[in-house]
Amino acid sequence: MKHFRPIWMIALNFVREQRWPILVLQLWVLGLAALGLLTDFRHDRDDVLLMFKQLGMYGVAFSVFFGGSAIYNERRSRRILAVLGKSITRRDYLSGLLLGVMLAAGLFCFVLGFTGTWILGSIGFPVAQIWYLMLCVLAACMLASSVALFYSTHLNPWMSALLTGLTLGVPGVVAFELGGTWGYILPVYSLMRVFLKASFEESGTHASWAILVAMGETVFLWLAASWIFGQIDVAVAVD
Amino acid sequence: MPAVLEFLDIIKDYRGLFRRRTVRALDHFTLQVEQGEIFGFLGPNGAGKTTAIHLAMGFVRPSRGSGKMLGQRFGNANARRKVGFLAENVALYHRPAETLVRFYGALNGLSGETLTRRTREALDTVGLLHESSRNVAKFSRGMLQRIGLAQAIVHDPDLLILDEPTSALDPLARYAVREMLLDLRNRGKTIFLSSHLLSEVELICDRIAVLNRGRLVRTGRPTELLESSEEVAIVAKGIPSASFPSAEAESENRIRFLIRAGEQRYAIEKVWSLGGEVISVSPRKRSLEDLFLELTSTGSSRDAAKMPSVPNAAEEP
Repeated sequence: MKHFRPIWMIALNFVREQRWPILVLQLWVLGLAALGLLTDFRHDRDDVLLMFKQLGMYGVAFSVFFGGSAIYNERRSRRILAVLGKSITRRDYLSGLLLGVMLAAGLFCFVLGFTGTWILGSIGFPVAQIWYLMLCVLAACMLASSVALFYSTHLNPWMSALLTGLTLGVPGVVAFELGGTWGYILPVYSLMRVFLKASFEESGTHASWAILVAMGETVFLWLAASWIFGQIDVAVAVD
Repeated sequence: MPAVLEFLDIIKDYRGLFRRRTVRALDHFTLQVEQGEIFGFLGPNGAGKTTAIHLAMGFVRPSRGSGKMLGQRFGNANARRKVGFLAENVALYHRPAETLVRFYGALNGLSGETLTRRTREALDTVGLLHESSRNVAKFSRGMLQRIGLAQAIVHDPDLLILDEPTSALDPLARYAVREMLLDLRNRGKTIFLSSHLLSEVELICDRIAVLNRGRLVRTGRPTELLESSEEVAIVAKGIPSASFPSAEAESENRIRFLIRAGEQRYAIEKVWSLGGEVISVSPRKRSLEDLFLELTSTGSSRDAAKMPSVPNAAEEP
């Protein structure tokens, strides 16, 4: 527990540093839900579901943004030096950042799940399925952000963004074309497909294996990123 | 007693993209810092001072060689628990001063009552206790440097590594920091201090090292280094000042002149032969600035223009 404290502090510090984009994202979800209440959304339930899916996609996009920019911002501002000058390892530091991104993603998924329950639940979408879908989105956010964080440990932001896009995109295309087990290679696409295909008529699709694989790959990427980050010179400019 | 900080034959090369361009920041750098001393680390911009400090803190890795800090290899997180570090151009999170210092103290393992007490003591030491609730984003550069010092000392470290700790401070604050460092030294702490303020280094450092273009060019006690073995100053009385070309009248009957060390015997005999009396013979004292310029000026300004810029976020490699 004592060992976990600095990681937790770095995670909370990350959330605090990113509080404005995180807050805007939550307010956007809540604001759209509030707007929905002003209209008779029961007659446009497919539109409401589409908006819900759109917001879920934004969650993944923001996770990639948070994961990809976390280390870069700290190194560019040189604030990383004061933190790494303390008795924490590079792995602890990276774990803190990744946990911070996951806290932000978790908060987003919770708010989206809450509004989904509130709005979609009232027009007949199964509430349990909403939270299952949120689990899929959260797993996709975790994996996508860890891919972005992995590249950002040793590449400049442009190269990192390019390779993150390719790493997440190519398995998606392969899974789309070939299907089957190919969908488990970095299964962001598989997880989001379950989320995007959900409908009032067919809401029971599951992707439990993809969730487990995504979690396992997140751990692997975290370990790989920690190892690489432990080898590089952090006081050298990244671009 | 083992050295508190030890660099052993370290080479540090910075390589450019695709390794086409290499800059050697440290070249066979060896140095030991003993416990309980204030060690001044001098050198012009680009000499490699910050690189050496970053190596010790584990921010960068040596290309060759190794080093130890508090008995552990560079980069060991446990060793950093007993180290206070202040980076050049301090960069900190924007939040109230007390919250910020608490954050850094907690990262170093402090908690509860100890953390609260140590935070307030550190803020008091740097003279910012009355500003503890103010956000550091609104601080002046000097105040930022002081809050940087507070986060470096909050956990009562055994070794302080300070990179230009007083560069933005006014004379009063600089005096306070100097007193603080002397007090810490008296309590058995070791201080490794990189600074461009030569007068300050001369005042408080027990030993100094001068680095130039990645190489250690001189190390020793200031008193030893500032004594020139090449010239001696002789004070004599009872002879006219015209007796020696460099002589200056010190008082009515007393002159002072500089001669080369090898001519000392001849000069003394000459004073006696003229019926005078030698009052004192002492090695000429240089200022630290003289020494610094002498050790670092060789080709540096000419070559500085040619040197490729170092790919470092810091101002020097």
